[in-house]
Amino acid sequence: MKSEARGAANPNAPTFQDVIMNLQRYWADQGCVVLQPYDNEVGAGTNAPATTLRALGPQTWRTAYVQGCRRPTDGRYGENPNRLQFYYQFQVLIKPSPDNIQDLYLGSLEAIGIDVSAHDVRFVEDDWESPTLGAWGLGWEVWIDGMEVTQFTYFQQVGGFECDPVPAEIAYGLERLTMFVQGVDSVYDIVWSRGSDGITFTYGDVYLENEREYSKYNFEVADTEFLFKEFADREAECMRTLEAKLPLPAYDSVLKCCHTFNLLDARGVISATERMAYILRVRTLAKACCESYMENVVGVKDKASSKEGE
Amino acid sequence: MADTRTLAFEIGTEEIPAFDLKAATVQLAKIMPDALDAKRIPHGEVKIFSSPRRLIAIVDDVALQTQRTVEEFRGPKTEIAFDEGGQPTKAAIGFARGKGLEPSALVRKEEGGVEYVFATVETPAMNVVDLLPDVLGGVIQSIYWPKSMRWGNMRALFSRPVRWLCALLGSDVVPVNFANVSSGRFTYGHRFLSPGPHEVSSAEELLEVVRKANVVPSQDEREQVIREGVKKAEAQTGCNAELPQKTLTEVINLSEYPTVMVGTFDEEFLQVPEEIIVDAMLMHQRYFPLYDAKGKLSNSFIVVSNGNPECEATIIDGNERVVAARLYDAKFFYEEDLKQPLSSYVDRLDEVVFQEQLGTMRQKTERVVQLAKCLAADASLDDAECVDVERAAMLAKADLVTNAVVEFTSVQGIMGSYYAQASGETERVARAIAEHYMPRFSGDDVPSDTVGRIVAMADKLDTICGLFAVDQAPTGSSDPFALRRAALGIIAIMQSGVDISLSKAIQDSLRIYEEYGLSFNVADVKSAVEDFFLTRTRVLLRDSGSSADAVEAVGAVGIVEPVLLIERVRALEAARDEAPDTFDDLATAYARANNLRDSALGVDYNSALFSESESALAQSIADTQAAVDKSLEIGDYHTALTQLAHLRGPIDNFFDKTMVMDENIELRENRIKLLNKFTGVFAGVADFSVMAKSK
Repeated sequence: MKSEARGAANPNAPTFQDVIMNLQRYWADQGCVVLQPYDNEVGAGTNAPATTLRALGPQTWRTAYVQGCRRPTDGRYGENPNRLQFYYQFQVLIKPSPDNIQDLYLGSLEAIGIDVSAHDVRFVEDDWESPTLGAWGLGWEVWIDGMEVTQFTYFQQVGGFECDPVPAEIAYGLERLTMFVQGVDSVYDIVWSRGSDGITFTYGDVYLENEREYSKYNFEVADTEFLFKEFADREAECMRTLEAKLPLPAYDSVLKCCHTFNLLDARGVISATERMAYILRVRTLAKACCESYMENVVGVKDKASSKEGE
Repeated sequence: MADTRTLAFEIGTEEIPAFDLKAATVQLAKIMPDALDAKRIPHGEVKIFSSPRRLIAIVDDVALQTQRTVEEFRGPKTEIAFDEGGQPTKAAIGFARGKGLEPSALVRKEEGGVEYVFATVETPAMNVVDLLPDVLGGVIQSIYWPKSMRWGNMRALFSRPVRWLCALLGSDVVPVNFANVSSGRFTYGHRFLSPGPHEVSSAEELLEVVRKANVVPSQDEREQVIREGVKKAEAQTGCNAELPQKTLTEVINLSEYPTVMVGTFDEEFLQVPEEIIVDAMLMHQRYFPLYDAKGKLSNSFIVVSNGNPECEATIIDGNERVVAARLYDAKFFYEEDLKQPLSSYVDRLDEVVFQEQLGTMRQKTERVVQLAKCLAADASLDDAECVDVERAAMLAKADLVTNAVVEFTSVQGIMGSYYAQASGETERVARAIAEHYMPRFSGDDVPSDTVGRIVAMADKLDTICGLFAVDQAPTGSSDPFALRRAALGIIAIMQSGVDISLSKAIQDSLRIYEEYGLSFNVADVKSAVEDFFLTRTRVLLRDSGSSADAVEAVGAVGIVEPVLLIERVRALEAARDEAPDTFDDLATAYARANNLRDSALGVDYNSALFSESESALAQSIADTQAAVDKSLEIGDYHTALTQLAHLRGPIDNFFDKTMVMDENIELRENRIKLLNKFTGVFAGVADFSVMAKSK
């Protein structure tokens, strides 16, 4: 409300961990498998195998999980109230997409204390395409009073394979959402937890030092020779693993390559022409993993279609 | 009057993208009546309504029965339809089958003295209720979406998932199925204010039920609500709002129940160049900026909400926080960017690819500098201007790697200009950096001074020549690098008074590409680029109202310079308007002479053989040729045309008095030589024969 001082968190609002736990409870009640975060560096919740690989094939799949995401170039040394090189997404994937998926999503907002009828909630066109995954989908970004808090996508294709049935993916930006719920203007002011004795921990208490150190590491310290070698080694390891028909461990190497590439990018050592070449190398690996997954796990031997979008 | 009912059909969906919704609304206004007409269902007016979650067609006076019709079709001639034995031929069998008949049902009748076979086809009256399910099902599938998708287990395609269908003929439900959704008599209202389902008792009630459920069901009505709200907001703030069409269309189709609200941001942010603030508001948030009485950006802005108007305070508060965060970023980026001089960003242009085969923006910058120097020399700029051209060309793209432009792309050029001024560049250089993207669209201004114009031309021409050299010329509707717009921009700049040779400029640009190591056939590319410019020029002339024959007549004489072509077409049209009869006659005479012309005979006539009219024509040709040559030499095309007009009397007189195709071969050939000479006078001016053809 206008009359309230900005900056301090609304003491009645759910804490960061309440928001997470409420979402987990809510989606568990919708029949989702609540996973714990994937233990590998990813740039987005979408990239975790529970989404990328499980989106493929005809089997029903429902999952919800928190995922820490690393975007080295977004680091701001803890000095920007809205940007982080490590942040959390809450990811939901439901295949096939239920007919009432939009209502289910709005119900999840109610579950974390947002009265959707008292705000301006809108679904604003936003098409999603990931060249590195050979994936695309149509959907929206969801705005609450002008703030983008969620990406909502009907996957049409992943790894060059048509998604049939179609999964719906919901990716919440947890920090943004909690800032909105708590009414704070800096991510570091988010109340993470509040004990019954009044002891609170803020997002800054938990992660400010992390942002400072990692920003410095990502931009200034990371050993580029080591990273170049790691990229090449991981690429080779991925191919070798695929020869053994093990798409899940092979996919780990794809994630390692992605993160290594992102670090090299943050270090500013990848030129424009090289950049395209690296992206292509990652795409080749990702597609090969999806193909292997389709063949060895789903049991479909069709080649991926060459269509990259519509 | 037959028994009729109103038909109401609503396709309920998840939120359809704004521009696709607009296009679909237009399509539906044609698809719906066409679909009814195809089944011969008599109907009255068709009205189309839409909101982000629905497309509605209301059709008045739909007949409950189609008319019984009897139509007669004429088939082949009887002699072809039956063989000698009186048996139907393949022609007759095929014709009958095409009409759904047996050959025996064909009848013979005479028409215009010839006997044909005829088929009589009777379509019985049908119940419209039975036809409508297919008609409406077809309508759903006939809508074309630029992007469509599947959902759930469905194979059906639509812009976004279809969630309900409301289909009523009078008070009866028309059964329609699409993607596992069956039609009913229910609609859904505003997602939060009046969700539904709401029952609709009859087709006439649908719109009323929708309206009551907090949905403003047409684009026009929502636009009106928004414009009225904006007016109030202007009165309340004393400011004027800017409503660019693109953002307005989006806003109209981003809400079902729009309410205009006013928010503010901290005045401190007004220190940031206003273009970034406006970009953040228009492009990212779909807010409308408000400008004070002096035209300066104010710290108030307009939000069009889809929420409950009673929650205005909450909604505004949220939006203000978002803007504050965005502007905080913008300010941070701007201040970061200012810490280094603009020139320091040029090296980093190596990180930005211009085009795969044509290198990075850094390499483009180097080429544009070279080309701009050539153009500046050709345009005879003074030394100070040449220095500024080179500097502006070098810095023109530097802002592409600054934080502010990476984040707010629409401010490219403009930010470069701010940074240039802050780095101590001259005002002219800074202005050229801002303006070198101009003209950005058809009818936009050209850069305001020669320095900006030269840099703009060099930038655009480098893009055109480079893409033609790597075989990426525009084809059909595909023009991803907007080369057509670039060409029109160059033509507009040349028309503004930059006096250079385009042909030479193209040559220079291609030479620079060659030196840079690109391999391609220079002669082929040059002629392709020249043709491209001429085609654009012709289209431009036609679009601006020049007649096709004038454009063709002038174009036929091998002009390569667009500006020259434009000037000559306009001069020809002006001259023709002053003396239409003269030009008509001249064109007719020219066409006649041109038909008789035999270039093999040459022009060396024997004046001794001349009659009086021939001598007079020969004299007039000699005088006119001399005068026309002189006029063209000094570039006075208009005078050349008026001089050509002097030939009208003598040539008309010649054709009146002289029989060219005389039986005497010597006389005949002599006359043709004279006509050869006559057509030759027109050679450098225009091909008058095409002007005669069009009559």
